[in-house]
Amino acid sequence: MLKVVTGFLVGMAIAALLIYKLAAGMMFREVPSQFGMEETVARIQQNVLHAGNGWSLSGLRNAAKPIEMSGGNVLPVMMIEACSTNYSAPILKDDSLRFLSNLMPCKISVYKKSDGKTYIGLMNAELIGGLFGSKVGDIMAKVAADQAKFIQFDASQPAPAMIKNAPAASGGSGAAADGGC
Amino acid sequence: MRAPQFMMPSQFKFVLPLLAAIALLAASTAQAANAKLEQIIAPAPHSTADHSKFKELNREFKNGPEVTKACLTCHTEAAKQVQHTKHWTWESTDPKTGKVRGKKNIINNYCTSPVSNENDCMACHAGYGWKDDKFDFKAEQNVDCLICHDQTGTYRKLPGFAGHPVYKRVEFPHGSGKFVEAVNLKKVAQSIGMPTRSNCGSCHFFGAGGNGAKHGDLDSSLQHPGKYLDVHMDEKGLNFYCTTCHATSHHEVSGSRYDTAAAVKGPAHIRGKQDASPASCQSCHSNKPHHEAMLNQHTDKLACQTCHIPEYARNQIGTESSWDWSLATQMGPDGKPMAYKDSAGRRAFDSKKGKWEWDSYVMPEYRWYNGYSDYKVIGDKIDPSKTVHINEVGGSPNDPDSRIWPVKVHRGKQPYDKVNNYLTVQHTAGEDHTALWHNYDWQKAIAAGMKAAKLPYSGEFGFVDTAMTWPITHMVAPKGDALSCAQCHSKNGRLKDIEGVYMPARDSNRWLDLIGWTLVVLTLFGVLMHGVLRLYASKKKG
Repeated sequence: MLKVVTGFLVGMAIAALLIYKLAAGMMFREVPSQFGMEETVARIQQNVLHAGNGWSLSGLRNAAKPIEMSGGNVLPVMMIEACSTNYSAPILKDDSLRFLSNLMPCKISVYKKSDGKTYIGLMNAELIGGLFGSKVGDIMAKVAADQAKFIQFDASQPAPAMIKNAPAASGGSGAAADGGC
Repeated sequence: MRAPQFMMPSQFKFVLPLLAAIALLAASTAQAANAKLEQIIAPAPHSTADHSKFKELNREFKNGPEVTKACLTCHTEAAKQVQHTKHWTWESTDPKTGKVRGKKNIINNYCTSPVSNENDCMACHAGYGWKDDKFDFKAEQNVDCLICHDQTGTYRKLPGFAGHPVYKRVEFPHGSGKFVEAVNLKKVAQSIGMPTRSNCGSCHFFGAGGNGAKHGDLDSSLQHPGKYLDVHMDEKGLNFYCTTCHATSHHEVSGSRYDTAAAVKGPAHIRGKQDASPASCQSCHSNKPHHEAMLNQHTDKLACQTCHIPEYARNQIGTESSWDWSLATQMGPDGKPMAYKDSAGRRAFDSKKGKWEWDSYVMPEYRWYNGYSDYKVIGDKIDPSKTVHINEVGGSPNDPDSRIWPVKVHRGKQPYDKVNNYLTVQHTAGEDHTALWHNYDWQKAIAAGMKAAKLPYSGEFGFVDTAMTWPITHMVAPKGDALSCAQCHSKNGRLKDIEGVYMPARDSNRWLDLIGWTLVVLTLFGVLMHGVLRLYASKKKG
């Protein structure tokens, strides 16, 4: 009996350790981009605009800017904020799920790292959504499918212009009716 | 109710007033020191002369040379001084070979050469009227005082006017529907003062025809920079102007990429002492500026800029990383000239000029550099099977005057004479039938350019890969943002390609490593054996 309990506890400990080590990597994804910062941002923005399913741009924020304003330097980080009312409305209508507004709008970050290359950072919407029951899980699975399309680029197409003045670009989400969630 | 009283032993009664006095003294000393520092570094807000009160300047001027004549009535030697500088001659003599270099004589991989394009390029010449090889370099009234001394911000020189500002309202660019107003020379002449960042920047921020295009560490963001961008120029802090470091004597501006002080040694500059390199970091900071001795040991091998400018073009203006002339004359699908911009709104393609690539927040490349650059000049032979280096920076690990420097390398593809094997000069700007930007005909443009350069042209041209190296020295980050140790001391760190120095964590010695690991294994074996023997001995006893 002691052996069974010990084995169970050891198994639990190993599982906990694995979850601890792997969970962070599973919840977020990092994908290298073949383009520079601005072009990556612009191509994602275009993909969002053409994605359908109610998607629109709700902001573009430079997370490095406040650090620059306080006199420091970090490599650039651009946060593209996008929102689909098709997906946000059912969640925001449900009182028991309104706290998930914290995850809105959907954010995709584009940043440069010390190797000089550009990367795209995404949340694993499907996995995280699955933690909150089937309703949220189903919606977030659709969000994840659309997100995957946002970062598929057609290099044969010319570089579009970066949309700097996306609705609420200066302050993030919410300021403009057609862009906010 | 009485307030509680604190009793103090009589022998300590003098302590509080003394402390207060010390604090006051320290505060006033610090304030005085700060005021003194500001006095040294900030440009004088007011000149001792109000130029609006000078009768020589209190009249209307028809053109720039008239203003210069008025300036010279008081500043009698100024034009002669300017005429000895690179800002005037666009020439520089190689101290090793005697070769005459300078903008006039090299073919770079941006706009290539001003020869035959003077009417446009001389918008950045400190003079009036240089439109061909007949320009009079000795005429004093041809010196443009205003481009460096205007304080109104209204004095602009446009391409196409041979270094003159516009005296009549003109549409610029032609056909754009945008207009540039005629300059008010009287107002500008009466405003003059010491050069500000905007004066220097009017050319140096916009070299190669675009904001930030050429240098990478100089662009319009330095007109009003924050601390993050340049700790010295920070508008709300030290507020250095270009001339604070590029100290000027007899109109000769110190600090030039043609003759860089790459490895200055010794203490900081002392007032009253002749400073050979006032534009160097060491001039103020000495070559041992750190509190930590370990960091100071690095200054024998590293330029200050290597650690303190971790990236250049640190804004979305960015800098041009390549210019491909081979795609110039390529038309749009409708057969007409086309132009388009990149995602950040920077020029990306133009049928007149070819294709550009840009980058921002750029990690520099690194080179050994001793301040000397060997430039290719017009007519120098090239090997078209290899990348042609427009300039090769001198220096090596064994040269005591060399340091590891950060550089921008601008790549290009530009025309060369396939028979004579030299880079070609092409007539690009202008409205005549041989100008590339007018007729899109390479043959005519090269023939006209080579004729102006007085070089034979075989009639056969091709395109060759070129590279140009620019030492990086501006956009100095706050000290907290300097490179960390691990950014260089690692296998794939910043200096992974630098040869000639042993860098711990980057480099390893096979034998040293073998001996080290053998000792580790033997030690572990010894500990293990000792444990086993003790276990065995205790069991035997028990």
